[in-house]
Amino acid sequence: MTALLIFAIGGTASASGLFGPPQTISREAGGLNTSIGYSYQEDKFEDNAQYVFRQNQVYSQVSYGAKNRWEIYGRIGVSDLTISDAFTSNNASTLVTSDSDFTEHWKFFGTLGAKGFLPINKIFGVGAFLQGSYYFEHFKCEVAGTDAGAPFTADLKVRDLWDVNFGIGFQATVPYDIKLYAGPYIYYSEAKANLSANIAGLKFGTQKISLENKSIAGGFAGIDVPLAKGFHLNIEGRYSERFSFGAAIGYKY
Amino acid sequence: MKSYLLSIFLFIFLAVGPVHGAGTDAAQANTETSPSIVVVGETVETTTEAPDKTADPFQEEYENGEYTDNGANAASKEEKLEIADPLEPFNRAMFHFNDKLYFWMLKPVAQGYKEVVPEPVRISFKNFFSNLGFPIRFLSCLFQADFSGAATEAGRFGVNTIWGIGGLMDPAASKELDLQKQDTDLGLTLASYGVGHGFYIVWPLFGPSSPRDTIDLAGRYFLNPLSYITPWYYPLGTKALDVVNATSLSIGDYESLKEAAIDPYVALRDAYIQYRKKQIKRKNNKAGAAGVQLEGNLTKSGAY
Repeated sequence: MTALLIFAIGGTASASGLFGPPQTISREAGGLNTSIGYSYQEDKFEDNAQYVFRQNQVYSQVSYGAKNRWEIYGRIGVSDLTISDAFTSNNASTLVTSDSDFTEHWKFFGTLGAKGFLPINKIFGVGAFLQGSYYFEHFKCEVAGTDAGAPFTADLKVRDLWDVNFGIGFQATVPYDIKLYAGPYIYYSEAKANLSANIAGLKFGTQKISLENKSIAGGFAGIDVPLAKGFHLNIEGRYSERFSFGAAIGYKY
Repeated sequence: MKSYLLSIFLFIFLAVGPVHGAGTDAAQANTETSPSIVVVGETVETTTEAPDKTADPFQEEYENGEYTDNGANAASKEEKLEIADPLEPFNRAMFHFNDKLYFWMLKPVAQGYKEVVPEPVRISFKNFFSNLGFPIRFLSCLFQADFSGAATEAGRFGVNTIWGIGGLMDPAASKELDLQKQDTDLGLTLASYGVGHGFYIVWPLFGPSSPRDTIDLAGRYFLNPLSYITPWYYPLGTKALDVVNATSLSIGDYESLKEAAIDPYVALRDAYIQYRKKQIKRKNNKAGAAGVQLEGNLTKSGAY
């Protein structure tokens, strides 16, 4: 837990979907498990300025694991994107009349990941995971206003959003096969952004800029509860500067 | 121009599927007389139904003076409710047309497809297309006041779509969940309201049918979500994949039926009618068990 707190300082959460328990829920002999999940993410990106990205993600995941030791998984999902105050002007002659937030609806993303687990005893164990996501489509939002009295409209495009995460999880299996887990993780995420026209006073221009995550580390904690008939409920939270959370219901074949 | 028309025709043929679809059903009816693995519509199921045996089938055949194949004979003896066949010359022509299309086109394509696509993938495709058949099964259950069947279908669709990766897998049929696919359609729904078969008709490409079951064919088109994809060749392409995929999983069924029969046309017709009758009986038994009295309606109207 100390490690979790240490790594939680100064970071913001970024990932596409949950990390999940370090130990696979697939059958020991090997088998699939699938899940559907929802995740709310917040992250802070920066170039010269800082931007808060907020995303609601819904995804479907298929995993294959075996021996209670390892698992590989893939996800396909959709996510929206909100960038707070992306269109605020620092020029008195430029007035933005549209919403100052960048908002775009559902776009597809994909995630691939793998995890390994090493049991210490019947209750405790430690595992590690590596997970990466990529957004296949670009996000686009229109900004409108007046520049020195002349009306303007422009599109801001955020494209090639991706992230990669690596973490270590400590797990405790308590009665009813409930798994509690927590650990630190590091990550990197990046996106390219550019405006369709140069507008004086706006942070973005026609030149493509690269936005990167402000911090590189965070902490996560979660619980995996076996439900009836092969279903599992997974709830997870990630905290750094802001709190992100998600839940997934999985089915073990 | 000719090659263009030929290619369109080939595409449509693959998209809608020739005699094989109905032949599959018919083949099932023929093979239901013995425990075996048979194909029911789009799914492969294990039939555990006891064979319809007489006390001494050989003696009975001898007494009746019949020496036809046992399967067809059993079918003809059981199927006392014959179907009118006023269009027999047309139907026979369509039967041969479909037969040739199956052997010359669909079967070779399906065999090639089978060679290159592994069976688990083909079964996943079958599950996917079966999952898309949810609307017709769900509505049929509702129209038959089979609310438990409708609930089962809704549950199956939800579970398989969400946790079965869009229906590619069938977790709903697992031991734990036990949500089995409902064997019903609009033809059976009409039968449950007392609508009879009418006469026998063999549609080109679609195979054995009747006026009642032709309504089911139309319903299948309108209630299939794939029918509404644009442009027009997408639904045709997916239907072609469905037919070729299903055929690759049941190559040999139609051939067995044909080989076992003296007159394949009559064998297919009898098997088709018998199969539909059995489906109606099964639904009727289920409805009877649920306290719904459909027996009287069906018998009076001759809906068998």
